[in-house]
Amino acid sequence: MDLSRRQALAGAAALAAAPLLSSRAAKADAPVAGKQVAGIYRYKVGSYECTSINDGARSFPMPDGFVTNVPKEQALSAAEASYMPKGMVTVPFNPQLINTGKKLVLIDTGNGPVPNAPVGMLLANLIAAGIDPKSIDTVLLSHLHPDHTNGLRTADGGLAFPNAEIIAPEVDWAFWTSDENAAKASTPIMKNYFANVKKTFAGITDKVSRYAWGKEVAPGITSIATPGHTPGHTSFAVASGDQTVLIQSDVTNIPEFFMRNPDWHVAYDADPETAQKTRHKFYDMASTEKATVVGFHFQFPSIGHVEKDGAGYRLVPAAWNPTI
Amino acid sequence: MPHFNEQKAVPVTDNNNPGFYHYAIGDAQVMPISDGAMTMALPDGLVKNAGRDEINAALRAAFLPEDKLTIHFTPVIIRTGGKTVLIDTGNGASAFAASKGAVGRFATNLKASGLDVGAIDCVVISHFHGDHLNGLLTVDGKPAFPNAEVLVPAPEWAFWMDDGEMNRVPDGRAKENFANCRRVFTTGLNGNVRQYAWDDEVAPGLRAVATPGHTPGHTSFTLTSGAKSLFIQSDVTNNPALFAVHPGWHLMFDADPVLAEATRRKVYDMLAHERMRVQGFHYPFPANGFVEKTSDGYQVVPAPWLGEV
Repeated sequence: MDLSRRQALAGAAALAAAPLLSSRAAKADAPVAGKQVAGIYRYKVGSYECTSINDGARSFPMPDGFVTNVPKEQALSAAEASYMPKGMVTVPFNPQLINTGKKLVLIDTGNGPVPNAPVGMLLANLIAAGIDPKSIDTVLLSHLHPDHTNGLRTADGGLAFPNAEIIAPEVDWAFWTSDENAAKASTPIMKNYFANVKKTFAGITDKVSRYAWGKEVAPGITSIATPGHTPGHTSFAVASGDQTVLIQSDVTNIPEFFMRNPDWHVAYDADPETAQKTRHKFYDMASTEKATVVGFHFQFPSIGHVEKDGAGYRLVPAAWNPTI
Repeated sequence: MPHFNEQKAVPVTDNNNPGFYHYAIGDAQVMPISDGAMTMALPDGLVKNAGRDEINAALRAAFLPEDKLTIHFTPVIIRTGGKTVLIDTGNGASAFAASKGAVGRFATNLKASGLDVGAIDCVVISHFHGDHLNGLLTVDGKPAFPNAEVLVPAPEWAFWMDDGEMNRVPDGRAKENFANCRRVFTTGLNGNVRQYAWDDEVAPGLRAVATPGHTPGHTSFTLTSGAKSLFIQSDVTNNPALFAVHPGWHLMFDADPVLAEATRRKVYDMLAHERMRVQGFHYPFPANGFVEKTSDGYQVVPAPWLGEV
């Protein structure tokens, strides 16, 4: 008899005693689980109904220089300490839908269609939430990185949200659409970002309007300057009634690394020193005010609170509410 | 720009959040199913050895509202070795109306997952409290899982089904629990249950583990498949924001709080040391994560959500 690992682990007693559960039920084998449940989570902010929408998560072998200013071993131990598969790093993506009662505002759009990758789930999850993509009034972009913009497009290159106005931070728009800046890009990551903006917005630049910081960019939604990750990187305060949540966007990439260690620099930052300053300022404010913070790269449903923890910060995920 | 000249009612499919979730442990599949969550005014005497101020401080530290307690309920389905096994059943369908829809959501969420009650081969009960038992019966008091064998922990049966034990307890919650056990097992299931012992393999790869204290026969489980394993803790802690963080707190619902605390520390030391994933009946949905030791207690870190099974 071939001893399987399970049997070996279960020990000799398991082999001697048959499972209590008899096989009397003459049924077909238990059905296996089908699709994962839709990654949607609704929460209220005052009278607004908000939905955290999971676009998926990527697990990939940690590249050299993923964290640019600490040794790779240190970053790998942080990943393992956070229960990521050994040698890997997992990055989730969570756009937010805000229903103000008058307008449907989608904040960021996820990765868009990517063949054979466990991302690009935004559209399917939106539909599962009962939202017709045609009914989105406004797509509000926090910054112009591919995992935030590429869901604007469908697999055939069409517009995923054909009736929506697209609004982008003016500083990021000016930076990433400048041919002069593109010519100066020195790293493959930066070159790719410029090329991606060109491709994603080709033919639709007239649909894009620009917003400034410190403005109400959509009803109840105010733009907050949080530069560094990109020059025009923006967070948002969503306020209704006496409630406010902060949509941080990419003030951190994964909090398991960069909230715990706010001085670590992720490879994707355009200006890591400014990003680090922004991070401290934002989390000092969020922890002092006990603000509810939503993070694009937090684990779904990507909502929590920030507390100071030594030289860093810690994310306390909000408890799941079965009903809203 | 399209024109939006009037207020637009945006349809939503319902006002609930997803109530089931899938993850794999080796070849086995695990599906936590929410029975809902109940928020109540913080009961007097909730913790026998900590006062309201201390509890409120813990609630504040967890960014939860003070003077309130939320209890989450999450039964779990395990597909292992060709069997579909349900561990605990929630508050029961009749609790839905009584709680105005806060709990008693299990049956609806099970259906939403695509699984029929008839597909459950086996229901394994961890202990004999109503929030674990009552879903064994329909609103009409009939067996809720027509094809399932019901397995109960032998030491739990020995205690709660003993009339002598019942007669010795004063009137109150414990007495009512004795009565509820008879309502469910004797009247509802006509005694049609099978007892299991601690350390038994109750289903392929699923082993009963003694974790007494919360009740005399309170049971947890280990699920092992391939190199992977999962600890299904049942009620080793209630809400982890209070009772994992403060393992020395004695919950009013514990039959033997000193033993419950010893069990809790032993189990959580093991979970932290082994970095073993744990599913907790009273954790917030999807009710699974990992345990980390802190300076004076433990902290449950939710497991990452994956968009694929």
